[in-house]
Amino acid sequence: MSEVVEHLRVKKGDVGRYVLLPGDPGRCAPIAALFDNPRHVSTNREYVIYTGELNGVPVSVVSTGIGCPSTAIAVEELLKVGSDTFIRVGTSGSIQHDTPSGQLAVVTAAIRDEGTTSQYLPMEFPAVASPQVVDALVKASKTTGAMVRLGVTQSKDSFYGEVEPERMPMAQMLADRWKAWREGGAICSEMEAAALFIISSIHGARAGGVMHMMGVGPDADPERKYLLSTAVEALRVLIEQDKENASWP
Amino acid sequence: MALNKDDQKQYHIQVAPGEVGRYVFLPGDPGRCEPIAQFFDEPRLVAKNREYETWTGYLDGEMVSVTSTGIGCPSAAIAMEELVKVGSDTFVRVGTSGSMQPHIKPGDLGVIHAAIRDEGTTSHYLPIEFPAVADIDITRALAVGARSLGKTVHVGISQSKDSFFGQHEPGRMPVASRLQERWKAWMAGGAICSEMEAAGLFIVASTLGVRAGGIMMILGHPDQSPMTEAEWKAGAVENVLPSAIAGMREIIRADREAAAQ
Repeated sequence: MSEVVEHLRVKKGDVGRYVLLPGDPGRCAPIAALFDNPRHVSTNREYVIYTGELNGVPVSVVSTGIGCPSTAIAVEELLKVGSDTFIRVGTSGSIQHDTPSGQLAVVTAAIRDEGTTSQYLPMEFPAVASPQVVDALVKASKTTGAMVRLGVTQSKDSFYGEVEPERMPMAQMLADRWKAWREGGAICSEMEAAALFIISSIHGARAGGVMHMMGVGPDADPERKYLLSTAVEALRVLIEQDKENASWP
Repeated sequence: MALNKDDQKQYHIQVAPGEVGRYVFLPGDPGRCEPIAQFFDEPRLVAKNREYETWTGYLDGEMVSVTSTGIGCPSAAIAMEELVKVGSDTFVRVGTSGSMQPHIKPGDLGVIHAAIRDEGTTSHYLPIEFPAVADIDITRALAVGARSLGKTVHVGISQSKDSFFGQHEPGRMPVASRLQERWKAWMAGGAICSEMEAAGLFIVASTLGVRAGGIMMILGHPDQSPMTEAEWKAGAVENVLPSAIAGMREIIRADREAAAQ
């Protein structure tokens, strides 16, 4: 019998190789409803887990909670129980001024604007998504009809440092850095991708992310239908590629 | 701009608008420009100044160029900045690199999809937390091109360092233990190869909104042990050039297909 991991309270066989990672535990049940034969596996702290099937292969959804500290724990423990392919799915702020609300960001890499990943690798190391997962998400968006934009995300530790920077003692630094991220071409801001990418690099696992962006105009996808269907479809793409043992590209 | 005596030619590369293509190869060594240009139709030498040598010709009817960057991110950043000013927007770094994984052998090719910013130039552009990442369409095309020629291709992260001898002879540096510990960290993070320009090119490309990628010949061993004669032969830089050309042709093909849609 393999061991039950400390925080997620699962063991080998309880979760699939392919995992969707929302931040919010409340989003696990709606995502699991898109799987075949979904079942609730465990709930502990901010970690809610469902496992089901897509294209006949076990897949899971695991909430990470907010931020890289709890995400790092989730990813570490999922690797211990045999998962190796991750897609982060959630909501993000937009960084470029011309982003319509509801456009999806397919994340290619992350700004390590957080404290967790420097406990893994020096800051010069890039937090980068697997190109195979990026391509699978783009391919999935063509099937689901979602509007997507590829680019870099800012993974930050302080939510209110982003949305109310002016009231922070470090207001000028936050404003200067935000401007730098925009001019560097970053497209969205969220709080977990950098940890997922850095830990996946260390373990040779595949990771990517798809984010609903809040931008200008009315929200084109208030129920997150495009977000969730695109993430699920991308898992199907990867499952089929793995069945054929296809190397990327 | 004020730096230019004649507003046509860029200060360092000595190239004027119209003299280079949208698509540019970027080797480090000026001595590699002519061998790359030999793959072009109608190659001609455009300019030669300092470490910057530029040739222009055609691939599949598209104007393409090759410009050497010199060694290191300081001179590579200058080359890209000035090439963008004269109209280039798609860059393929091509050159040699050191293996960072025991299973990656001399003669294998590395397609770089992101770079470790172990250098001083890119902090003048963006805070160090920002990832140095290649354009995925360029990355895909380079891997497709190299595999079409039957090459063993690894897609992964490079270390872009400032000190060549800090990599090759770390033990004699006053900061030896730091260099050795960081090298181990890069390996544990999964880095595939070590070179000296990719981070500069990727960060400058991100800030200018242009596309960049890289394809590298792999040489050496991660523990710096010597190569055999056969390994030197397999790792000759000439062996990466046909793959780089095939990758650029694939980029041009994909761009034409996208434009037609």
